[in-house]
Amino acid sequence: MGYVFTWLALMILLGLTFASSYIAMGPWNTVANTGISCAKALLIAVFFMHLRHAGPLLRIAAVTGVIWLALLFGLSSTDYATRDLSPAPWAKR
Amino acid sequence: MTTSPFDSTLERREAGMLGMWAFLATEVLFFGPLFFGYLHGRLTSPEAFVSGSHHMHIVLGTLNTAILMTSSLTMALAVRAAQSGRESLRTYLVITALLGLAFLGIKGSEYGMEASEAAKASGAELQFYFLYFAMTGLHAIHLTIGIGVLAWLWRHARRFGAGDHAPVEVSGLYWHFVDVVWVFLYPMFYLLERYSA
Repeated sequence: MGYVFTWLALMILLGLTFASSYIAMGPWNTVANTGISCAKALLIAVFFMHLRHAGPLLRIAAVTGVIWLALLFGLSSTDYATRDLSPAPWAKR
Repeated sequence: MTTSPFDSTLERREAGMLGMWAFLATEVLFFGPLFFGYLHGRLTSPEAFVSGSHHMHIVLGTLNTAILMTSSLTMALAVRAAQSGRESLRTYLVITALLGLAFLGIKGSEYGMEASEAAKASGAELQFYFLYFAMTGLHAIHLTIGIGVLAWLWRHARRFGAGDHAPVEVSGLYWHFVDVVWVFLYPMFYLLERYSA
C-alpha cells in the first residue's frame, strides 16, 4: 500500500510542476521545477529504493555521487565566473 | 561446493546493494557534465533555450514522465513479490518492461518530429538541441539496458522468486535511478516558460 501512496505523491507533483509552468513567476518557475524534481527524486530514493530501511553504509554510498557532483559544479562554476573565455584561434566567435 | 567470500546470504545481499549504489554514484558523475553544460547554456543564452523548449511536445513529454514513474511503481512491486516469493514477480516484470517500451516508442516518435526542427536550428538553439538529444539519448540507452535486464530476470524468475532475490533488488535500484534522471530532464527541456508559448 505504501508504494501506491508514493506513486500517488509522484503523480500529484508531476501535475504541480506541469501546471506551474503555465503561471509566469520569472526565475521562480525554475526554482519550483527544480524543487519539485528534487522532491520526486527523494520520494523515489527513500521509498522505492528502500533508503528508508537501509543501513548507514548504503545511505553514505547513495549520497556520495550527489556530493561529488555538487563539488564539481562548484569548482567548474568558479572557473566560468572568474575567468575570461579565450577561444582557440580556429573558433571564430 | 563453491567457496563464497561472504559469511551469509544477508552479507552477500548487502554487498550487492553497495556495489549498485557505488555504480549509481559513478552514473551521477557520468551524466553530470551534460547537466553542467545545460546550466552554462541556459545561463548564457536563456532566450534560445526557451524558444527551443517551445518546440518540445509537452503532452508527450508529460505522458512519458507519468509512464516512467508508473513503471517505477511496478518495479517496486516486482521487488516485493520476489522478496516474498510470489508468482506475481513475472507479471510485474512484464508490465514494467512494457511501460519502458511504451516510453521508448513515444520518445522515438518525438525524435522523428523534432529532427526537422533541429536541422533548422543554429547557434545557441542548436546547443539546446544538442543537449536535448545527448541527454535524452543517453537516458534512452540506459532504459534500453534496463529492459534487457528485466527480460533476463523474467527468464530466471523461478530462481529469483525464492531465496535468491538479490538480483531483482539490485536491478530495481538501477531502474529507479533511470527514472530519477528523467524526473530532472523533463522540466529542463519541456517546461521552460510555457506561459509565453
